Amino acid sequence: MKTLFFCATLCAVSMVVGGFHNRAGAAEPKSQSDSPIHPAPGSGQTARIARAAQAVLDTLDEEQRAKVIFKFGDKEQRARWSNLPTGMVKRRGLRMGDLSPEQRTAVMTLLSVTLSKMGYEKVLGIMDGDEVLKNSSGGGGPAFGRDEFYVSFLGTPSATAPWMLQFGGHHLALNVTFVGEEGVMTPSLIAVQPARYSLNGRTVRPLGRETDKAFELINSLNATQRKEAVLGFQMHDLVLGPGHDGETIQPEGIKASALTDQQKQMLLDLVAEWSGIIHDAAAAEKMTEIKANLPDTWFAWSGPTEPGSAAYFRVQGPTVVIEYAPQRLGGDPTQHIHTMYRDFTNDYGKKLLGQ
Amino acid sequence: MIAIASVLAFSVSAQAHRLDEYLQATRIAVETHRIDLAIDLTPGVAIATDLLSSIDPGGNSRVPPHQGQRYAQRVLQDLVLDLDGKRQPIKLIGASFPGRADMEDGEGTIHLQAVVKISTLKPGHHELLFRNAHLPRISVYLVNALVPENKAIQITQQTRDELQKEYRLSFELKPTASKTGSP
Repeated sequence: MKTLFFCATLCAVSMVVGGFHNRAGAAEPKSQSDSPIHPAPGSGQTARIARAAQAVLDTLDEEQRAKVIFKFGDKEQRARWSNLPTGMVKRRGLRMGDLSPEQRTAVMTLLSVTLSKMGYEKVLGIMDGDEVLKNSSGGGGPAFGRDEFYVSFLGTPSATAPWMLQFGGHHLALNVTFVGEEGVMTPSLIAVQPARYSLNGRTVRPLGRETDKAFELINSLNATQRKEAVLGFQMHDLVLGPGHDGETIQPEGIKASALTDQQKQMLLDLVAEWSGIIHDAAAAEKMTEIKANLPDTWFAWSGPTEPGSAAYFRVQGPTVVIEYAPQRLGGDPTQHIHTMYRDFTNDYGKKLLGQ
Repeated sequence: MIAIASVLAFSVSAQAHRLDEYLQATRIAVETHRIDLAIDLTPGVAIATDLLSSIDPGGNSRVPPHQGQRYAQRVLQDLVLDLDGKRQPIKLIGASFPGRADMEDGEGTIHLQAVVKISTLKPGHHELLFRNAHLPRISVYLVNALVPENKAIQITQQTRDELQKEYRLSFELKPTASKTGSP
Protein backbone atom coordinates (compact mmCIF):
# COMPACT_ATOMS: atom_id res chain seq x y z
CA MET A 1 0.00 0.00 0.00
CA LYS A 2 1.22 3.38 -0.82
CA THR A 3 1.83 5.52 2.14
CA LEU A 4 -0.26 8.53 1.72
CA PHE A 5 0.66 10.39 4.78
CA PHE A 6 2.47 12.54 2.33
CA CYS A 7 2.67 15.61 4.42
CA ALA A 8 5.49 16.46 6.67
CA THR A 9 4.59 17.60 10.11
CA LEU A 10 4.22 21.28 10.42
CA CYS A 11 2.70 22.79 13.49
CA ALA A 12 2.08 26.48 13.36
CA VAL A 13 5.39 27.05 11.73
CA SER A 14 6.33 29.69 9.29
CA MET A 15 7.68 28.88 5.96
CA VAL A 16 8.98 30.77 3.06
CA VAL A 17 6.85 30.47 0.02
CA GLY A 18 7.76 32.12 -3.21
CA GLY A 19 5.16 33.48 -5.49
CA PHE A 20 2.45 34.52 -3.12
CA HIS A 21 2.86 38.08 -4.19
CA ASN A 22 1.73 36.88 -7.56
CA ARG A 23 -1.57 35.26 -6.72
CA ALA A 24 -2.73 32.44 -8.87
CA GLY A 25 0.62 32.39 -10.53
CA ALA A 26 -0.08 35.37 -12.69
CA ALA A 27 -0.39 39.08 -12.44
CA GLU A 28 -3.60 40.29 -10.88
CA PRO A 29 -6.13 40.75 -13.63
CA LYS A 30 -6.99 44.21 -14.63
CA SER A 31 -10.39 45.59 -13.85
CA GLN A 32 -13.14 44.50 -16.19
CA SER A 33 -13.02 47.73 -18.12
CA ASP A 34 -9.27 47.37 -18.59
CA SER A 35 -9.37 43.74 -19.64
CA PRO A 36 -7.50 43.08 -22.85
CA ILE A 37 -10.47 41.72 -24.69
CA HIS A 38 -11.42 42.48 -28.21
CA PRO A 39 -14.80 43.89 -29.16
CA ALA A 40 -17.70 41.47 -29.42
CA PRO A 41 -21.42 41.96 -29.70
CA GLY A 42 -23.54 42.45 -26.62
CA SER A 43 -23.46 44.74 -23.66
CA GLY A 44 -24.67 42.46 -20.88
CA GLN A 45 -22.57 40.54 -18.38
CA THR A 46 -22.62 37.32 -20.40
CA ALA A 47 -21.29 39.25 -23.40
CA ARG A 48 -18.48 40.61 -21.24
CA ILE A 49 -17.71 37.13 -19.96
CA ALA A 50 -17.82 35.71 -23.49
CA ARG A 51 -15.36 38.37 -24.61
CA ALA A 52 -13.07 37.51 -21.72
CA ALA A 53 -13.35 33.84 -22.68
CA GLN A 54 -12.56 34.68 -26.28
CA ALA A 55 -9.55 36.62 -25.04
CA VAL A 56 -8.34 33.42 -23.38
CA LEU A 57 -8.84 31.49 -26.60
CA ASP A 58 -6.99 34.16 -28.57
CA THR A 59 -3.86 33.55 -26.51
CA LEU A 60 -3.85 29.82 -27.26
CA ASP A 61 -2.26 27.90 -30.09
CA GLU A 62 -4.21 25.36 -32.08
CA GLU A 63 -3.21 22.42 -29.92
CA GLN A 64 -4.21 24.20 -26.74
CA ARG A 65 -7.52 25.27 -28.24
CA ALA A 66 -8.28 21.68 -29.14
CA LYS A 67 -7.62 20.70 -25.54
CA VAL A 68 -9.69 23.39 -23.89
CA ILE A 69 -12.91 23.26 -25.92
CA PHE A 70 -15.44 20.46 -25.59
CA LYS A 71 -18.84 20.01 -27.08
CA PHE A 72 -21.56 21.62 -25.02
CA GLY A 73 -23.29 18.27 -24.72
CA ASP A 74 -20.18 16.42 -23.55
CA LYS A 75 -21.63 14.74 -20.47
CA GLU A 76 -18.35 13.14 -19.43
CA GLN A 77 -16.48 16.42 -19.36
CA ARG A 78 -19.39 18.13 -17.65
CA ALA A 79 -19.16 15.67 -14.78
CA ARG A 80 -15.37 15.51 -14.71
CA TRP A 81 -14.84 17.37 -11.46
CA SER A 82 -13.93 16.32 -7.98
CA ASN A 83 -12.74 17.40 -4.58
CA LEU A 84 -9.71 15.17 -5.03
CA PRO A 85 -6.30 16.29 -6.30
CA THR A 86 -5.83 16.31 -10.04
CA GLY A 87 -3.31 13.50 -9.87
CA MET A 88 -5.96 11.26 -8.38
CA VAL A 89 -8.93 12.28 -10.50
CA LYS A 90 -7.68 13.37 -13.89
CA ARG A 91 -9.12 16.61 -15.23
CA ARG A 92 -9.15 17.65 -18.85
CA GLY A 93 -8.79 21.07 -20.33
CA LEU A 94 -5.77 23.27 -19.88
CA ARG A 95 -3.65 23.09 -16.77
CA MET A 96 -2.71 26.45 -15.34
CA GLY A 97 0.86 25.30 -14.82
CA ASP A 98 1.19 24.66 -18.56
CA LEU A 99 0.13 28.15 -19.53
CA SER A 100 2.29 31.18 -20.19
CA PRO A 101 2.01 34.15 -17.84
CA GLU A 102 -0.09 35.96 -20.45
CA GLN A 103 -2.43 33.00 -20.79
CA ARG A 104 -2.78 32.59 -17.03
CA THR A 105 -3.60 36.25 -16.69
CA ALA A 106 -6.27 35.89 -19.35
CA VAL A 107 -7.81 32.96 -17.47
CA MET A 108 -7.79 34.81 -14.18
CA THR A 109 -9.30 37.85 -15.87
CA LEU A 110 -12.06 35.60 -17.19
CA LEU A 111 -12.70 34.36 -13.67
CA SER A 112 -12.76 37.87 -12.29
CA VAL A 113 -15.42 38.85 -14.83
CA THR A 114 -17.43 35.68 -14.31
CA LEU A 115 -17.47 35.92 -10.53
CA SER A 116 -18.35 38.62 -8.07
CA LYS A 117 -15.53 40.36 -6.23
CA MET A 118 -16.35 38.22 -3.20
CA GLY A 119 -16.46 35.08 -5.30
CA TYR A 120 -13.21 35.82 -7.05
CA GLU A 121 -11.45 36.46 -3.76
CA LYS A 122 -12.86 33.22 -2.40
CA VAL A 123 -11.48 31.31 -5.36
CA LEU A 124 -8.09 32.97 -4.95
CA GLY A 125 -8.13 32.04 -1.29
CA ILE A 126 -8.86 28.42 -2.14
CA MET A 127 -6.08 28.34 -4.71
CA ASP A 128 -3.66 30.03 -2.33
CA GLY A 129 -4.64 27.49 0.29
CA ASP A 130 -3.71 24.71 -2.07
CA GLU A 131 -0.35 26.40 -2.62
CA VAL A 132 0.14 26.41 1.15
CA LEU A 133 -0.75 22.74 1.14
CA LYS A 134 1.81 22.06 -1.56
CA ASN A 135 4.52 23.84 0.34
CA SER A 136 3.72 22.03 3.53
CA SER A 137 3.31 18.59 2.08
CA GLY A 138 6.97 17.82 1.68
CA GLY A 139 6.52 16.28 -1.74
CA GLY A 140 5.93 12.69 -2.69
CA GLY A 141 2.17 12.92 -2.56
CA PRO A 142 -0.48 14.20 -4.90
CA ALA A 143 0.23 17.41 -6.77
CA PHE A 144 -1.17 20.49 -5.10
CA GLY A 145 -0.87 24.19 -5.76
CA ARG A 146 -2.01 26.91 -8.09
CA ASP A 147 -0.53 25.18 -11.13
CA GLU A 148 -2.89 22.25 -10.69
CA PHE A 149 -6.11 23.99 -11.67
CA TYR A 150 -7.74 23.41 -15.04
CA VAL A 151 -9.89 25.52 -17.31
CA SER A 152 -12.20 24.23 -20.02
CA PHE A 153 -15.10 25.39 -22.14
CA LEU A 154 -18.10 23.36 -23.19
CA GLY A 155 -19.50 24.96 -26.29
CA THR A 156 -18.38 28.24 -27.77
CA PRO A 157 -18.38 31.30 -25.53
CA SER A 158 -21.32 33.38 -26.66
CA ALA A 159 -23.66 36.12 -25.49
CA THR A 160 -26.64 34.19 -26.80
CA ALA A 161 -25.95 30.47 -27.34
CA PRO A 162 -25.52 28.10 -24.40
CA TRP A 163 -21.99 27.40 -23.22
CA MET A 164 -20.21 26.48 -20.04
CA LEU A 165 -17.05 27.47 -18.24
CA GLN A 166 -15.36 24.97 -15.97
CA PHE A 167 -12.54 25.90 -13.66
CA GLY A 168 -11.26 23.71 -10.91
CA GLY A 169 -8.84 21.32 -9.37
CA HIS A 170 -8.26 20.08 -5.86
CA HIS A 171 -11.01 21.47 -3.62
CA LEU A 172 -12.58 23.58 -6.33
CA ALA A 173 -15.03 22.86 -9.13
CA LEU A 174 -16.77 25.82 -10.70
CA ASN A 175 -19.34 24.80 -13.29
CA VAL A 176 -20.84 27.95 -14.74
CA THR A 177 -23.46 27.60 -17.47
CA PHE A 178 -24.54 30.55 -19.57
CA VAL A 179 -27.71 30.74 -21.59
CA GLY A 180 -27.97 34.24 -22.92
CA GLU A 181 -27.95 36.66 -20.01
CA GLU A 182 -28.72 33.88 -17.57
CA GLY A 183 -25.83 32.38 -15.65
CA VAL A 184 -25.93 29.54 -13.15
CA MET A 185 -23.11 28.21 -11.03
CA THR A 186 -24.51 24.89 -9.93
CA PRO A 187 -23.25 22.35 -9.26
CA SER A 188 -20.06 23.76 -7.77
CA LEU A 189 -17.76 22.36 -5.14
CA ILE A 190 -16.20 24.96 -2.90
CA ALA A 191 -13.70 23.54 -0.45
CA VAL A 192 -10.47 24.46 1.25
CA GLN A 193 -7.47 23.04 3.05
CA PRO A 194 -6.07 24.55 5.14
CA ALA A 195 -9.08 26.56 6.10
CA ARG A 196 -6.91 29.01 8.07
CA TYR A 197 -3.51 30.15 6.96
CA SER A 198 -1.40 33.25 7.07
CA LEU A 199 -0.35 35.04 3.93
CA ASN A 200 1.90 38.06 3.94
CA GLY A 201 1.15 38.53 7.61
CA ARG A 202 -2.60 38.36 7.09
CA THR A 203 -4.77 35.51 8.31
CA VAL A 204 -6.78 34.07 5.46
CA ARG A 205 -9.97 32.05 5.92
CA PRO A 206 -11.43 31.52 2.47
CA LEU A 207 -14.57 29.97 3.92
CA GLY A 208 -14.45 31.91 7.16
CA ARG A 209 -17.55 34.03 6.71
CA GLU A 210 -19.81 31.08 5.95
CA THR A 211 -18.40 29.19 8.91
CA ASP A 212 -19.02 32.12 11.26
CA LYS A 213 -22.47 32.87 9.87
CA ALA A 214 -23.56 29.26 10.27
CA PHE A 215 -22.52 29.19 13.92
CA GLU A 216 -24.27 32.51 14.51
CA LEU A 217 -27.44 31.12 12.99
CA ILE A 218 -27.47 27.86 14.90
CA ASN A 219 -26.75 29.70 18.13
CA SER A 220 -29.58 32.14 17.48
CA LEU A 221 -32.12 29.31 17.66
CA ASN A 222 -34.09 28.76 20.82
CA ALA A 223 -34.29 25.33 22.41
CA THR A 224 -37.38 24.32 20.48
CA GLN A 225 -35.96 25.43 17.17
CA ARG A 226 -32.64 23.80 17.90
CA LYS A 227 -34.33 20.52 18.63
CA GLU A 228 -35.67 20.57 15.10
CA ALA A 229 -32.53 21.81 13.42
CA VAL A 230 -29.94 19.60 15.08
CA LEU A 231 -29.92 16.12 13.64
CA GLY A 232 -29.36 13.41 16.18
CA PHE A 233 -26.74 11.58 14.18
CA GLN A 234 -23.23 12.00 12.89
CA MET A 235 -22.53 13.26 9.39
CA HIS A 236 -19.17 12.12 8.10
CA ASP A 237 -19.23 13.62 4.64
CA LEU A 238 -21.22 15.37 1.96
CA VAL A 239 -24.28 13.47 0.80
CA LEU A 240 -24.39 15.13 -2.60
CA GLY A 241 -20.73 15.52 -3.48
CA PRO A 242 -19.15 14.65 -6.81
CA GLY A 243 -20.91 11.85 -8.65
CA HIS A 244 -24.36 12.64 -7.31
CA ASP A 245 -25.77 14.78 -10.06
CA GLY A 246 -29.51 14.47 -10.46
CA GLU A 247 -30.22 13.21 -6.95
CA THR A 248 -32.74 14.98 -4.74
CA ILE A 249 -32.65 13.99 -1.11
CA GLN A 250 -35.43 14.40 1.37
CA PRO A 251 -34.90 17.64 3.32
CA GLU A 252 -34.36 17.58 7.08
CA GLY A 253 -33.92 19.97 9.98
CA ILE A 254 -35.92 23.08 10.70
CA LYS A 255 -38.04 24.79 8.09
CA ALA A 256 -37.35 28.47 7.54
CA SER A 257 -41.01 29.18 8.14
CA ALA A 258 -40.29 28.33 11.78
CA LEU A 259 -37.55 30.96 12.01
CA THR A 260 -37.92 34.56 13.12
CA ASP A 261 -37.49 37.32 10.55
CA GLN A 262 -34.01 37.98 11.88
CA GLN A 263 -33.08 34.31 11.63
CA LYS A 264 -34.48 34.15 8.11
CA GLN A 265 -32.21 37.01 7.15
CA MET A 266 -29.27 35.22 8.77
CA LEU A 267 -30.10 32.15 6.71
CA LEU A 268 -30.20 34.22 3.52
CA ASP A 269 -26.90 35.85 4.43
CA LEU A 270 -25.42 32.40 4.88
CA VAL A 271 -26.74 31.19 1.53
CA ALA A 272 -25.37 34.31 -0.15
CA GLU A 273 -21.85 33.06 0.56
CA TRP A 274 -22.45 30.50 -2.20
CA SER A 275 -25.11 32.13 -4.37
CA GLY A 276 -23.04 35.30 -4.41
CA ILE A 277 -19.92 33.71 -5.85
CA ILE A 278 -21.15 34.25 -9.40
CA HIS A 279 -21.22 37.78 -10.82
CA ASP A 280 -23.55 40.24 -9.17
CA ALA A 281 -26.35 40.23 -11.74
CA ALA A 282 -26.74 36.45 -11.73
CA ALA A 283 -26.31 36.35 -7.96
CA ALA A 284 -29.10 38.88 -7.47
CA GLU A 285 -31.43 36.87 -9.67
CA LYS A 286 -30.61 33.68 -7.80
CA MET A 287 -31.14 35.33 -4.44
CA THR A 288 -34.55 36.59 -5.54
CA GLU A 289 -35.50 33.01 -6.36
CA ILE A 290 -34.13 31.69 -3.08
CA LYS A 291 -36.03 34.35 -1.11
CA ALA A 292 -39.26 33.46 -2.88
CA ASN A 293 -38.77 29.84 -1.82
CA LEU A 294 -37.58 30.65 1.68
CA PRO A 295 -40.63 29.27 3.55
CA ASP A 296 -39.88 25.85 2.03
CA THR A 297 -36.18 26.00 2.80
CA TRP A 298 -34.67 23.81 5.50
CA PHE A 299 -31.65 24.19 7.75
CA ALA A 300 -30.06 21.13 9.33
CA TRP A 301 -27.09 20.79 11.63
CA SER A 302 -25.01 17.88 12.87
CA GLY A 303 -22.32 18.20 15.49
CA PRO A 304 -21.39 20.59 18.25
CA THR A 305 -22.70 24.15 18.13
CA GLU A 306 -19.78 25.84 19.83
CA PRO A 307 -18.14 28.25 17.40
CA GLY A 308 -14.86 26.86 16.14
CA SER A 309 -15.90 23.24 16.40
CA ALA A 310 -16.33 20.84 13.52
CA ALA A 311 -19.95 20.61 12.47
CA TYR A 312 -21.88 19.69 9.36
CA PHE A 313 -24.77 21.74 8.07
CA ARG A 314 -27.12 21.71 5.12
CA VAL A 315 -29.44 24.30 3.63
CA GLN A 316 -32.00 22.83 1.29
CA GLY A 317 -34.77 24.60 -0.55
CA PRO A 318 -36.69 24.01 -3.76
CA THR A 319 -33.90 25.57 -5.84
CA VAL A 320 -30.84 25.39 -3.66
CA VAL A 321 -28.82 22.86 -1.70
CA ILE A 322 -25.76 23.76 0.26
CA GLU A 323 -23.77 21.25 2.23
CA TYR A 324 -20.83 22.05 4.50
CA ALA A 325 -18.81 19.11 5.79
CA PRO A 326 -15.58 19.29 7.79
CA GLN A 327 -13.40 16.36 6.80
CA ARG A 328 -12.28 13.90 9.43
CA LEU A 329 -9.33 12.62 7.49
CA GLY A 330 -6.78 12.35 10.21
CA GLY A 331 -6.17 15.97 11.06
CA ASP A 332 -8.08 18.91 12.46
CA PRO A 333 -11.41 18.72 10.62
CA THR A 334 -11.94 22.46 10.94
CA GLN A 335 -8.89 22.91 8.73
CA HIS A 336 -10.31 20.81 5.91
CA ILE A 337 -13.76 21.77 4.70
CA HIS A 338 -15.77 20.52 1.75
CA THR A 339 -18.90 22.32 0.64
CA MET A 340 -21.30 21.68 -2.19
CA TYR A 341 -23.65 24.09 -3.93
CA ARG A 342 -26.44 22.63 -6.04
CA ASP A 343 -29.82 23.39 -7.51
CA PHE A 344 -31.78 20.22 -8.20
CA THR A 345 -33.88 22.09 -10.74
CA ASN A 346 -31.13 23.87 -12.60
CA ASP A 347 -27.77 22.10 -12.27
CA TYR A 348 -25.76 22.71 -15.43
CA GLY A 349 -28.53 25.11 -16.50
CA LYS A 350 -30.98 22.31 -17.25
CA LYS A 351 -33.99 24.49 -16.45
CA LEU A 352 -32.72 27.22 -18.74
CA LEU A 353 -32.20 24.64 -21.44
CA GLY A 354 -35.69 23.25 -21.00
CA GLN A 355 -34.43 19.84 -19.91
CA MET B 1 9.33 39.74 -3.16
CA ILE B 2 9.47 36.78 -0.94
CA ALA B 3 6.37 36.30 1.03
CA ILE B 4 6.08 34.54 4.30
CA ALA B 5 3.33 32.05 4.59
CA SER B 6 2.61 30.33 7.80
CA VAL B 7 -0.03 27.89 8.68
CA LEU B 8 -1.92 28.65 11.83
CA ALA B 9 -2.43 25.64 14.00
CA PHE B 10 -2.22 23.54 10.90
CA SER B 11 -0.66 20.31 11.93
CA VAL B 12 -0.16 19.37 8.39
CA SER B 13 -2.72 16.88 8.10
CA ALA B 14 -2.65 17.53 4.48
CA GLN B 15 -4.28 14.24 3.79
CA ALA B 16 -6.63 14.42 0.87
CA HIS B 17 -8.04 11.04 1.56
CA ARG B 18 -10.18 9.15 3.94
CA LEU B 19 -7.83 7.29 6.24
CA ASP B 20 -8.99 4.59 8.58
CA GLU B 21 -12.70 4.79 7.96
CA TYR B 22 -14.85 2.80 5.58
CA LEU B 23 -17.51 5.23 4.42
CA GLN B 24 -20.72 3.48 3.47
CA ALA B 25 -23.25 5.86 1.95
CA THR B 26 -26.68 4.56 1.01
CA ARG B 27 -29.43 6.34 -0.85
CA ILE B 28 -32.89 4.81 -0.74
CA ALA B 29 -35.47 5.46 -3.44
CA VAL B 30 -39.01 4.33 -2.70
CA GLU B 31 -41.49 3.83 -5.50
CA THR B 32 -44.76 1.97 -5.60
CA HIS B 33 -43.38 -1.32 -6.86
CA ARG B 34 -39.77 -1.23 -5.77
CA ILE B 35 -37.24 0.17 -3.38
CA ASP B 36 -33.84 0.93 -4.86
CA LEU B 37 -30.65 1.05 -2.88
CA ALA B 38 -27.56 2.83 -4.18
CA ILE B 39 -24.62 2.01 -1.95
CA ASP B 40 -21.25 3.72 -2.23
CA LEU B 41 -18.40 2.10 -0.31
CA THR B 42 -15.20 4.09 0.08
CA PRO B 43 -12.40 2.53 2.12
CA GLY B 44 -9.76 4.81 3.57
CA VAL B 45 -6.15 4.35 2.57
CA ALA B 46 -5.26 2.75 5.86
CA ILE B 47 -7.77 -0.04 5.43
CA ALA B 48 -8.02 -0.36 1.65
CA THR B 49 -5.28 -2.97 1.28
CA ASP B 50 -6.77 -5.26 3.88
CA LEU B 51 -10.20 -4.86 2.39
CA LEU B 52 -8.88 -5.55 -1.09
CA SER B 53 -7.14 -8.66 0.14
CA SER B 54 -10.41 -9.97 1.44
CA ILE B 55 -12.23 -9.09 -1.78
CA ASP B 56 -9.58 -10.27 -4.20
CA PRO B 57 -6.86 -12.41 -2.60
CA GLY B 58 -5.25 -12.73 -6.03
CA GLY B 59 -4.15 -9.13 -5.94
CA ASN B 60 -5.32 -8.31 -9.46
CA SER B 61 -5.11 -4.77 -10.75
CA ARG B 62 -8.88 -4.88 -11.10
CA VAL B 63 -11.20 -6.94 -8.98
CA PRO B 64 -12.38 -9.87 -11.15
CA PRO B 65 -16.16 -9.81 -11.71
CA HIS B 66 -16.81 -13.04 -9.82
CA GLN B 67 -14.85 -11.80 -6.82
CA GLY B 68 -16.66 -8.49 -6.99
CA GLN B 69 -20.01 -10.22 -7.10
CA ARG B 70 -19.04 -12.37 -4.15
CA TYR B 71 -18.09 -9.34 -2.08
CA ALA B 72 -21.22 -7.46 -3.11
CA GLN B 73 -23.31 -10.38 -1.91
CA ARG B 74 -21.40 -10.35 1.38
CA VAL B 75 -22.33 -6.70 1.80
CA LEU B 76 -25.97 -7.41 1.07
CA GLN B 77 -26.00 -10.21 3.62
CA ASP B 78 -25.07 -7.62 6.20
CA LEU B 79 -27.98 -5.39 5.28
CA VAL B 80 -31.51 -5.60 6.56
CA LEU B 81 -34.51 -3.97 4.98
CA ASP B 82 -37.93 -4.39 6.56
CA LEU B 83 -41.07 -2.92 5.09
CA ASP B 84 -43.98 -2.67 7.48
CA GLY B 85 -42.26 -5.11 9.78
CA LYS B 86 -41.58 -7.77 7.17
CA ARG B 87 -38.06 -8.67 6.10
CA GLN B 88 -37.51 -8.07 2.39
CA PRO B 89 -35.02 -9.85 0.14
CA ILE B 90 -32.46 -7.46 -1.31
CA LYS B 91 -31.34 -8.36 -4.79
CA LEU B 92 -28.09 -7.19 -6.29
CA ILE B 93 -28.55 -5.61 -9.69
CA GLY B 94 -25.17 -4.03 -10.25
CA ALA B 95 -21.68 -3.69 -8.84
CA SER B 96 -18.70 -1.73 -10.07
CA PHE B 97 -15.25 -1.69 -8.57
CA PRO B 98 -12.51 0.87 -9.09
CA GLY B 99 -8.97 -0.19 -9.93
CA ARG B 100 -6.79 -1.53 -7.14
CA ALA B 101 -4.45 1.44 -7.36
CA ASP B 102 -7.29 3.89 -7.00
CA MET B 103 -8.58 2.09 -3.95
CA GLU B 104 -5.14 1.90 -2.40
CA ASP B 105 -4.88 5.65 -2.92
CA GLY B 106 -8.06 6.11 -0.94
CA GLU B 107 -10.01 7.52 -3.87
CA GLY B 108 -11.77 4.41 -5.05
CA THR B 109 -15.45 3.93 -4.43
CA ILE B 110 -17.29 0.66 -4.90
CA HIS B 111 -20.78 1.24 -6.26
CA LEU B 112 -23.51 -1.28 -5.56
CA GLN B 113 -27.05 -1.16 -6.89
CA ALA B 114 -29.68 -3.29 -5.24
CA VAL B 115 -33.43 -3.54 -5.33
CA VAL B 116 -36.30 -4.75 -3.23
CA LYS B 117 -39.28 -5.68 -5.36
CA ILE B 118 -42.65 -4.87 -3.86
CA SER B 119 -45.63 -6.76 -5.15
CA THR B 120 -48.27 -4.34 -3.99
CA LEU B 121 -47.83 -1.28 -1.91
CA LYS B 122 -51.16 -0.46 -0.42
CA PRO B 123 -52.28 3.12 0.10
CA GLY B 124 -51.69 4.47 3.56
CA HIS B 125 -48.87 4.70 6.05
CA HIS B 126 -45.71 2.63 5.67
CA GLU B 127 -42.58 2.08 7.71
CA LEU B 128 -39.23 1.11 6.30
CA LEU B 129 -36.31 -0.05 8.40
CA PHE B 130 -32.81 -0.22 6.97
CA ARG B 131 -29.89 -1.56 8.95
CA ASN B 132 -26.29 -1.79 7.82
CA ALA B 133 -24.06 -4.13 9.80
CA HIS B 134 -21.25 -4.44 7.29
CA LEU B 135 -17.82 -4.12 8.92
CA PRO B 136 -19.08 -1.96 11.79
CA ARG B 137 -15.74 -1.67 13.56
CA ILE B 138 -14.17 0.35 10.78
CA SER B 139 -17.19 1.92 9.13
CA VAL B 140 -19.01 5.21 9.18
CA TYR B 141 -22.41 5.46 7.56
CA LEU B 142 -24.65 7.84 5.70
CA VAL B 143 -28.23 7.02 4.78
CA ASN B 144 -30.63 9.28 2.96
CA ALA B 145 -33.93 8.92 1.19
CA LEU B 146 -34.30 10.37 -2.26
CA VAL B 147 -37.44 12.36 -2.90
CA PRO B 148 -39.79 9.86 -4.58
CA GLU B 149 -40.43 10.44 -8.25
CA ASN B 150 -44.01 9.39 -7.69
CA LYS B 151 -45.64 12.41 -6.09
CA ALA B 152 -48.25 10.17 -4.47
CA ILE B 153 -45.53 8.94 -2.11
CA GLN B 154 -44.76 11.43 0.59
CA ILE B 155 -42.00 10.93 3.11
CA THR B 156 -43.18 11.96 6.53
CA GLN B 157 -40.22 11.18 8.76
CA GLN B 158 -36.64 9.93 8.77
CA THR B 159 -34.92 8.80 11.95
CA ARG B 160 -31.50 7.29 12.52
CA ASP B 161 -29.35 6.12 15.34
CA GLU B 162 -26.32 8.27 16.12
CA LEU B 163 -24.01 6.34 13.78
CA GLN B 164 -26.58 5.99 10.98
CA LYS B 165 -26.29 2.23 11.11
CA GLU B 166 -30.03 2.02 11.59
CA TYR B 167 -32.46 4.13 9.62
CA ARG B 168 -36.23 4.36 9.73
CA LEU B 169 -38.34 5.94 7.06
CA SER B 170 -42.01 6.72 7.38
CA PHE B 171 -44.00 7.49 4.28
CA GLU B 172 -47.55 7.74 3.01
CA LEU B 173 -48.92 6.46 -0.24
CA LYS B 174 -51.93 8.44 -1.35
CA PRO B 175 -54.89 6.27 -2.39
CA THR B 176 -54.76 7.21 -6.07
CA ALA B 177 -51.19 6.07 -6.38
CA SER B 178 -52.03 2.41 -6.09
CA LYS B 179 -53.97 2.73 -9.32
CA THR B 180 -51.74 5.14 -11.17
CA GLY B 181 -48.37 4.54 -9.63
CA SER B 182 -45.56 3.91 -12.00
CA PRO B 183 -44.32 0.33 -12.16
